[in-house]
Amino acid sequence: MPATVTGTPASARETRPAPATDVRRRSMRRRTRWIGLAFAALPLGVYAIVVLVPLAQSVQYSFYKWDGVSASTWVGFDNYVSFVTDPVLRSTLGHVLVLIGFFALLPIILGLLSAALLTRAKQPGMAVYRWIFFLPQVMTTVVIALVFKRIYAPDGPLNEALRAVGLDSLARTWLGDFTWALPALGLIGTWVTFGFCMVLFISGTSAIAPELYEAARMDGAGPVREFFAVTLPGLRGQLAIALTLTITAALRTFDLVWITTHGGPGTSTLTPAVALYKAAFQNPQVGLAAAIGVVMAALCLVIAVVITRVSERD
Amino acid sequence: MSVHKAWAAGIAAAVALGMAACSPGSGSTDKSDAPSAVSTDVAAAGNVTLKLTDFWGAAEGEWIKQVVADFQKKYPNVTIQRTTEDWGQLNSTLNLQLQDDGGPDLATANNGWQSLGTLAKGGLVRNLDAYAKAYGWDKDVPTTIARQNKFSTDFKTMGSGSWFATPMARTSLIGLYYNADKLKTLGIEPPTSLADLEADAAKAKAAGEVPFQYGSLDGSTSMVLGLQAMLADKKKLNDYIYDNPSVKATDVAMTDAVQLTKKWADAGYFPQHFEGIDYQTAVANFVGGKGVFRWEYTGSLGLNAQQQGHFGYVQLPQQAGSGTVGVGAAPGAMVISSKSKHPDVAAAFLDYLMSPEAGQAGVDRGLVPAMSPNAKVPAASLSLTGESKAAATLDAGDGYVPYFDWSSPTMLDTLGQNLQLVFAGKMTADKFTAAVDKDRDTFLAGQS
Repeated sequence: MPATVTGTPASARETRPAPATDVRRRSMRRRTRWIGLAFAALPLGVYAIVVLVPLAQSVQYSFYKWDGVSASTWVGFDNYVSFVTDPVLRSTLGHVLVLIGFFALLPIILGLLSAALLTRAKQPGMAVYRWIFFLPQVMTTVVIALVFKRIYAPDGPLNEALRAVGLDSLARTWLGDFTWALPALGLIGTWVTFGFCMVLFISGTSAIAPELYEAARMDGAGPVREFFAVTLPGLRGQLAIALTLTITAALRTFDLVWITTHGGPGTSTLTPAVALYKAAFQNPQVGLAAAIGVVMAALCLVIAVVITRVSERD
Repeated sequence: MSVHKAWAAGIAAAVALGMAACSPGSGSTDKSDAPSAVSTDVAAAGNVTLKLTDFWGAAEGEWIKQVVADFQKKYPNVTIQRTTEDWGQLNSTLNLQLQDDGGPDLATANNGWQSLGTLAKGGLVRNLDAYAKAYGWDKDVPTTIARQNKFSTDFKTMGSGSWFATPMARTSLIGLYYNADKLKTLGIEPPTSLADLEADAAKAKAAGEVPFQYGSLDGSTSMVLGLQAMLADKKKLNDYIYDNPSVKATDVAMTDAVQLTKKWADAGYFPQHFEGIDYQTAVANFVGGKGVFRWEYTGSLGLNAQQQGHFGYVQLPQQAGSGTVGVGAAPGAMVISSKSKHPDVAAAFLDYLMSPEAGQAGVDRGLVPAMSPNAKVPAASLSLTGESKAAATLDAGDGYVPYFDWSSPTMLDTLGQNLQLVFAGKMTADKFTAAVDKDRDTFLAGQS
């Protein structure tokens, strides 16, 4: 864009008769800027105190070996190194990857599918369905975790149902099983985020111009082709939002694990957030906890940036 | 773009500021030396108000209220303001509260390195040696209980050195509870030895009962620790937990205790699918009449007065015939804040907490007394009768071993996680013991 378009042409300015107004306007502009800053100062100050300062402190702590009370020792990157070399701590990253599959990918696929189906034909009572599927999103995780703990219990509804239909061999102690505990937890996440993704995508599809669908149909596209050619590209923004929110939710998983399994059996459901909590508040290893926190925060940031960049690219 | 730059600059500046500031924790390292002149004369102290923060609720809450009231009656010049917080909350914030000028004068800490050791090392709680001398605690408190509150002043060793906390006239043990009605139906007497117990469990199993009510979903370890106390050498077990590096976990019957637990699991002595049963459910099941025996911490079953008549408690003697040894500690380590302006009065209150009066106040509320051999227990309470008898036996024989997880801050997790692996057949008892050693040795290496 040429620069001249934004500014007033020099010749026009010269012909202006009264420079006094110009001065006044400029000072007014300056004043509004100061007023704006003054308005922003309080929230900025609060933000600095509650976010930036603790952030800087966390980064600082992560370079120390510190029990939270007595004198600390500088250990450089040792805490970060042990996060990636300690087999138990490293395994938490693998668990988070599995959880991303259940918290992000699965709900998004299901959400897209149901959004595509639901928007194709208007059914009576749609709002009710939407409301029901969205409900988990507004429920407290603690409540959800307690409910699912009951559902997954050895004599809980899930096992009872399996036994009732003769699938006794599939009944198991879901949360106490080394193979199944993590997927069982993941499915809770799927249940929670699915409704959110679906509602997001339904509102997104309603914003897509109907002409595009008409054009696609006139070109002879079937429902599948229509989905990939029109709906999916039209939902790019919503996909970015859904991915960012669900992936960061998976990375931060704490309450679900804490209430259901405490990271067990063994360490098969331990997540970085649970490891962080244990290090910070149960065992005096504040430095290690800070390092875990910093790494997770950086990961969240990188993922958010990558997703935004990719979704905005033409 | 300029916005990004500004952000980057801001964050960099904030980080730099943080780095430039002194290293974390350097502000609170002033070591508290034992005061040389202390007074036990509370009445002469004038009007004093002390703040007490504890983690006691329910019956324990009623108990401390009573003890505070009694103390205030004895010394009308003293007022104690009590605040209560739940156990986890207080444990995770006590270090901050004690650094606050308006913080508590007295508080309940948790023994071991995680809480008490860290507070003592950080100079947040007072060295109580002078008071121990003035009040004669070294003489009155069983050695195995006194050790639990001591640290060396270089804070490399727990279990010897100076007093940094005091116990109280109450105790919390790990032992065996039994359902008295079920024993009657099965026609068996309460067990008096480990061999007895195994025979009874087999009998209960044959009769279609669940011998041991237990769930391992959240890694409950009371059974293994209860068994270990019956199998291990008392001195070695104490030494191991107090971080004597020459004692190894194999020397303290860790492998045997885990093997026995696994044997019982394989024999079907635990409820079906116990891997999926959490602690609360297991407790509720046992109190609700499912299961004949349960290894449990005293006071954790939450028995009401009526139920106390139907559940019994035994502290089984050691397998080797070397008396009775039990896992036990005071339900809290009482500390005096280094910032307290009235340590003399605070110490007098700690002494009162160890008095037979405080013990009797505990018994009256269904709590297990300690250091109170003459406490009167209501005969109708079968469980409290058993618990009090056990405490008296351990007091008299100096037979306490501390909770095993005091040996390192991560030990409780290590025990729970690896026990789940053992139950799943993914780890042998030998490997379990090796993991325990590795945990403690890693911790010890980090201490020096």
